[in-house]
Amino acid sequence: MTRDTYTMERNIHMRAGYALLVVLALVLATVLSVNGATPASAQTLAADRVGIVCTDGPSFTLTTKTGYISLPDANTMFMWGFSSGSDSFQHPGPVLCVNQGDTVTVVLNNTLPEPVSIMFPGQENVLANGVPAQPEFDGGALTSLTNTAAANGGTVTYSFVASEPGTYLYESGTDPETQVRMGLFGALIVRPTVGSNFAYNRADSQFDPSEEFMVLLSEIDPFQHQAVEQGKPFNMNTYHPRYWLINGRGFPDSIADNFASWLPTQPYGALAQIQEFDPANLADMPGMARYLNVGTEDFPFHPHGNNGLVVGRDGRPLEGPTGQDLSFEKFAINIGPGQTWDVIFKWFDAESYNGDEFLPDGVTPNSDYNPVPVTIPDMANQVIGVFYSGSPYLGKSEVLPTGTPTLNQCGEYYIISHNHALFQITSWGANMTGPITYMRIDPPLPNTCTP
Amino acid sequence: MSHLPSIPAQDPKGDKGMIENTTRSRREFLKVAGGVVAAAGAIAYVPAWGGKVLRPEAAVAADGAPDLYLAGTDGWMSLPPGPPIGFFWPDDIAPEPFNTYIFGFRNITGMTPTQKANQKNKAQHSAPLFWLDQFDPNNPVDFRVQVTNLGLALRPDLFDAHTLHWHGFRNVIPFFDGEPSGSVSVPTGRDFTYVYRPRDPGTYMYHCHVEDVEHVHMGMTGLVFVRPLQDGNTSFYSSGKYMYNDGDGSTGFDREFAMFLSEVWAESHWADSHIQLPEWSDYRADFSLLNGRSYPDTIAPNAPIDAGASQHALAVGTDPNGELVAPDGRPDLQYQPHSSLVTCNAGERVALRFANLGFREQAMTLAGLQMRVVGRDATHMRGRDGTDTSYETDTINIGPGESYDVIFTAPAHSGGTGPDTYMLYNRNYTRSGNLDDSGFGGQQTEIHVYPTGSVAAQQYPNDWGI
Repeated sequence: MTRDTYTMERNIHMRAGYALLVVLALVLATVLSVNGATPASAQTLAADRVGIVCTDGPSFTLTTKTGYISLPDANTMFMWGFSSGSDSFQHPGPVLCVNQGDTVTVVLNNTLPEPVSIMFPGQENVLANGVPAQPEFDGGALTSLTNTAAANGGTVTYSFVASEPGTYLYESGTDPETQVRMGLFGALIVRPTVGSNFAYNRADSQFDPSEEFMVLLSEIDPFQHQAVEQGKPFNMNTYHPRYWLINGRGFPDSIADNFASWLPTQPYGALAQIQEFDPANLADMPGMARYLNVGTEDFPFHPHGNNGLVVGRDGRPLEGPTGQDLSFEKFAINIGPGQTWDVIFKWFDAESYNGDEFLPDGVTPNSDYNPVPVTIPDMANQVIGVFYSGSPYLGKSEVLPTGTPTLNQCGEYYIISHNHALFQITSWGANMTGPITYMRIDPPLPNTCTP
Repeated sequence: MSHLPSIPAQDPKGDKGMIENTTRSRREFLKVAGGVVAAAGAIAYVPAWGGKVLRPEAAVAADGAPDLYLAGTDGWMSLPPGPPIGFFWPDDIAPEPFNTYIFGFRNITGMTPTQKANQKNKAQHSAPLFWLDQFDPNNPVDFRVQVTNLGLALRPDLFDAHTLHWHGFRNVIPFFDGEPSGSVSVPTGRDFTYVYRPRDPGTYMYHCHVEDVEHVHMGMTGLVFVRPLQDGNTSFYSSGKYMYNDGDGSTGFDREFAMFLSEVWAESHWADSHIQLPEWSDYRADFSLLNGRSYPDTIAPNAPIDAGASQHALAVGTDPNGELVAPDGRPDLQYQPHSSLVTCNAGERVALRFANLGFREQAMTLAGLQMRVVGRDATHMRGRDGTDTSYETDTINIGPGESYDVIFTAPAHSGGTGPDTYMLYNRNYTRSGNLDDSGFGGQQTEIHVYPTGSVAAQQYPNDWGI
């Protein structure tokens, strides 16, 4: 098909689609008004299903629990974890959200058969039971990086002032090569004084709070977990990860909603659902991704289709002594063990590859409505991806060949993000799983995904 | 319903390089965020990050023929002799003089259909080096790459699709991203054309994204870079050649060399040629490669290059069947055409473009010379407020999927005959060897500095000029 005939056919098709959309919107509006219900905003709905799930502070109780998680190869894994209060086991630990200047209190209740502690890397002047936290020694030998809660019911209370905004880890400081690997870790977010929609106290770190996401990267050696479960020793010299996870899940579970019912102990999804960045709207802000690495080596995470702007690392903004901007763009977020990177990102329809499906009637297509400038092969001459709408254009769907499955809902885009140490894109032999997630770009509102 | 991206009129600032527009002026930002700033009191003020936003342009050559034709297929290559690696390497079914099974791309631009078909089972590694000019709104021309899937001669049972994923391309739409789940991929015997408007100069990489753990590791990987609009302006640097739109010549260079990093895990290559599946979490890099070769092969010549046909991609010489012509005296390197030897005259500025699609972080060290990092991940080393964040180093720690743009200045020649030699090698010594007794090999090459005036001007990237 030449470009001209293609464009013409598409115009006809899209006009019909446009009319159908209007009808659908009217029907929906009618139904809602009849029922007297107030439609929840798209932002609210999305925020529940995707994005960071905060456990708000500044006072927390973390209880150690044991439990199991599901992995993409259908294996289950014995884990240890921190849960909030008396909640059941979850992995990873709750995302602790506090405000800059808060005095944060964390009561650790330990139910495990060995002493446990919590380190707060990046925080200063941490107190344990009211006195400065200190490493523990037994006859001169180090036994813990910080004060412990005794085995089988012990308690310790940590407190500190969250003086600097940013993203931090918290993790066990006791027998950490076992306890951290077993899952005793989580994320701590300190919101800056200027507002929760800023990464730091810099005007240029503002983001859209409905597009804030966590990318917590971890790894599992199944033999270590089996040894712990069976009470047997494990030789760390044989340590060899076989699973790599995002927010405690492997792909495809990683893109399931927060609190997906089939993942009862893995509450946190990693799908980055956003709207395209609108340069004409001065109020539109980019999204924000908080990366954390609790593994044992660098994880080079690669978001397709956007260069993240790294504005902070390890809870400090990237700025010079007099406020110079030292942020940098990256297409590979190469994050080291124990590091956190704060990354602002967006996706913009730079070439207006939007077809003309959103043109009001009577408006002539112009250069702002570029069709994709290639002859698109017949569907039979393409292999169709499971997230494909059948159309190159955002917000548009085409009929797919009979028998072709698609998970696409309303012509939204799915652009992948994944660890580029590609041998880690596996779950102990189940290839193309593990540390993968997607950026989902929804069509402009209203669309048929969101009334 | 209306979705009309009304882009505010912009002052082009008179700099050809500054076609990217900042969406919010300082004044606009103050209106939006001023209240917050005032409440905070002491926070450092800089403009908001609307980021660089681009003005959509209608391209005039949208319907032209593709600028580059790539074919995906399988084939064989040669790694330097060394002790056997189990029964995995050298591969017992490899045809002489080769020893390693690969998947890869070939440049089939200008070939007849028969010649194209002949290239099945003739893949090369690394993939053809290609480069583009930054999209110019004053001369808006798309760059199009057609990918043909020739199939896998040794593994017809796989009937794998292929794609072209341009790693790091900003604001890509799924249709042109090559990630197969998000859109479409190219079945055996079919073609697909990818369209690019490269807005951001710098060094990138490309690879097939179908079953990418396997297809990337098997060799469907190469380097692509974008030349800045500032090129041709000799007022900043005499050569008129730059890595970025620097406005001050700080990224100007006289010669450029692509340094593409990849790896070979012998067991997985053997597994693909023997209809087996490796356990990827057992991965190890048995060989580490520079531009598809392992030292000392890295300093062997380039295959014969048709400089006139190499406007946007290295055009390696071919015979009447379309077969690659091997580098002079090295029939075993027929499918590894890219040399990594760096040649230059004393006093010249030399640009090295590093990109890593191995699965391990590498530590590329240049002994005796300082490299200035002027770009990373196709981003000029500048803060949003213009702060210069470039830096000097002798070692580039480059992770999988990262790129680094560096420039060094060749020192004075020491006198006497022949060039001075400086070594560029992977400081992770387990990856700068070929498992043999010499202790040297892998990701390693030589930099030869000649007396002023000895080396002719480069006709294409990685050209020796001698």
